[in-house]
Amino acid sequence: MKKQLKNSFWVIVAMATMTLINSCDDFEQFEPIGENSIEDATPPNAFFSYSQGQGVGDAWKGYTFANASTSATTYAWDFGNGETSTDVDGATVYSGEGTYTVSLTASDDLGVVSTYSETLEVVEPEEPLVANPTLINPDFDKLPKNNGNSSDCACSGWDNDDIGEQGESSSGNGGSDNVLKFDNNEPDHIYQEFEVTPNAEYSIAIVTSFKGLENNTPPMDSMLEVRVLSGAGYVSGYTPIYYATATEYPSSGYGYTTVAQVEDTTNNILTETIVNPGNDNYNTTTYTFNVGANNSVALFVRGMGGAAGGEYGYNSGDEEIRADSVTITALN
Amino acid sequence: MFNFNIIKMKNITKHIKKLNLFILAVTLFSCGEDFLSPAPTSVLIADTYFESEADLEAALVNMYDGIQGVNSTSNGDNHALQVEFYLTEMRSDNTRTKSSEGEAAQFENYSVVATNGIVSDYYRSFYNVIFRANTVLAHLDIATDANRAKIEGEAKFVRAYAYFNLVRLYGDIPLIDKVLEITDPEYNSIAYTRIAKATVYELIESDLLTAIDGLDNTYVSRASLAAAQTLLAKVYLTLGTNYLDAQLLCEAVMGSGFTLEPNFKDVFYTELNNELIFSIGYIGDSSQDSQNFSAEWLNAVGRTSGVNYTTEDVRTVIDALGGDRKPYSYRVDTEQPSQFQVAKYIPDGDTTLDIAPTSTDPTSAGNDWIVLRYADVLLMHVEAIMAGTSSTSVQAALDSFELVRLRAGLLADDDNNITKQELLDERRVELAFENQRFFDLVRFNEAQNVLSAFSTATGGNFNASDLLLPIPQREINLSNGLLSQNPGY
Repeated sequence: MKKQLKNSFWVIVAMATMTLINSCDDFEQFEPIGENSIEDATPPNAFFSYSQGQGVGDAWKGYTFANASTSATTYAWDFGNGETSTDVDGATVYSGEGTYTVSLTASDDLGVVSTYSETLEVVEPEEPLVANPTLINPDFDKLPKNNGNSSDCACSGWDNDDIGEQGESSSGNGGSDNVLKFDNNEPDHIYQEFEVTPNAEYSIAIVTSFKGLENNTPPMDSMLEVRVLSGAGYVSGYTPIYYATATEYPSSGYGYTTVAQVEDTTNNILTETIVNPGNDNYNTTTYTFNVGANNSVALFVRGMGGAAGGEYGYNSGDEEIRADSVTITALN
Repeated sequence: MFNFNIIKMKNITKHIKKLNLFILAVTLFSCGEDFLSPAPTSVLIADTYFESEADLEAALVNMYDGIQGVNSTSNGDNHALQVEFYLTEMRSDNTRTKSSEGEAAQFENYSVVATNGIVSDYYRSFYNVIFRANTVLAHLDIATDANRAKIEGEAKFVRAYAYFNLVRLYGDIPLIDKVLEITDPEYNSIAYTRIAKATVYELIESDLLTAIDGLDNTYVSRASLAAAQTLLAKVYLTLGTNYLDAQLLCEAVMGSGFTLEPNFKDVFYTELNNELIFSIGYIGDSSQDSQNFSAEWLNAVGRTSGVNYTTEDVRTVIDALGGDRKPYSYRVDTEQPSQFQVAKYIPDGDTTLDIAPTSTDPTSAGNDWIVLRYADVLLMHVEAIMAGTSSTSVQAALDSFELVRLRAGLLADDDNNITKQELLDERRVELAFENQRFFDLVRFNEAQNVLSAFSTATGGNFNASDLLLPIPQREINLSNGLLSQNPGY
């Protein structure tokens, strides 16, 4: 009896072992394999987009993630900062600036998995500072003009023959060949276009000197008119070009092409007049202006006060005026 | 797919009737190339209908007929603009159904399914509008030289308007820029291929630039220069790439003689007032030209028990920031005092608010729908100057903002610094229930934050994929595998 039991035990052990060894093969007989199995025709495809928080304080550290996966039923987010989630959409707050890899694993009910990852550069957005505009030859140095085809001039980079005559080179304020002269009784001008940030505030400082008043009868006192002209008023189809050097600037046929355009009030962002201060010092005059809906504007300065008429319809008065420099600064 | 060949018999003029007949004729007789040779003289067919500019004028009016939509309760009709509030306001935090009933409630619950009939209705309606615009453009050759640019501009404005709505609601969409015949060998590949949003926006931009060149400010209930400028400004703000031109366009409209109505009520209850830039006209009690959305917003006056009812969320904001706008924004439902209805576009009058009925039968209402108005332009001007940053203190922006606030009986901005949130709130209150809120949230990049919080509070099921509607299942089925569905559906 005992022996029988012992035999039975070994038979059972042997059978169980056989079953264990063969079980996988046996069961697979009943699984659809090969051509009988149906493929997952709509496998999941993981995808997401994200956006950074906007607003005051630490809002920039918060990110929201929009799940755009297809054919998936469950999701696993890893935000790259130790945080995870199984929600459909994701949101997390990062501790600070840095690089994080965010991954989304999307699965369907057949266990097919798709993963999409994206590397995030978390950066605190800076207050965008408005840059100072770039003026070429703002100190009126005597430089090659018209690509060297004309004689050197303090007006290099500042000439638009369609709306005035060029100012001549002169000396003053402790230097030589370093100032620009608006002759008496002539339609002298300066003109240059420059790039600006829309709706930003700027200040313009211009250093000028007036000769003593002639006090003629009738008096024809020279004045300096300062205008900032809207880029929207440039001739139709014109795109401003900002040259690197004064010598490259053209001398006609660009930007503003008639005095009437210049004097059209809708084209004027700033219109000011500097009158004779009663001394011949180099004085600084400062104005501020907002450029409105422009990304380009032009500075136009001309001598006024003389008789109307002539080629341009305007002339300076009886006294010479000299300009030493012009500086335009963004007000942040 | 889009009912291209049959325009419903909803005629504004005799000419439209003719136009329908010939299109019907085309449908019936398009079997063989020379079937209609020689051309019959007793019926109108497409090849011979367009003879003079008067025929083009009929085709232009036909576009607005398409936008107007059919005033019916039949599911198969194109209701167009009359169902737009379901897809926009009711999908925002502004409105909901009164009784959470039917497929209309899918919008507020963010459980829209691809078989939703309203989603399909709007889609096919606006592709039908595009078809009508393309029909005009296909026959520009018969326009006189003097008027061709204007006619082209008008058709392109309408096409851009339709695509702008579709691309914001459905994402990548089929792009059809010609009359697409069912016999066209490319029919399937054009009608059922989703084109990237950026390409759709390219057509919208170029259409609107053409419209700006060709149009003037003659009309309010048809395309105009100012309408094209305003719409293009909104397109640029939506794309977020060209704030300077958006600002210039707004400033061009601001210099075109439009003004804010001194009384907020008159914006909605004095038709064709000076604040309106583009509206769609309806005529009360007209079987062809009336609308029923106004009645649907009432308590069981229309087909529904009441839809587009205001949420508590929006009422809280209107109470706080609305000023004089409040009484003409929402009112208590006297039959069910716990509920509150929209007070813009009331069809059957309100003696307390001194509003007259626009029709004897409220389901044939005459209230025009405002698409674009001057207050929107002023607030877009602020948005353009803000240029994607979080706030602005620029005087020009403060000035525009102040105009809108002062009209509402409020004060100018208190700290001379308008934040993005303040602008979004001001837009919400000023333009509440005018189908702007949803698009504003998306454009300000606040849709996911705001709507997921709103949905959590109201027991909805919002996910980011709800920001795009599904491509209608009917289109997917017809496309035979060519059209893919948006994520989440």
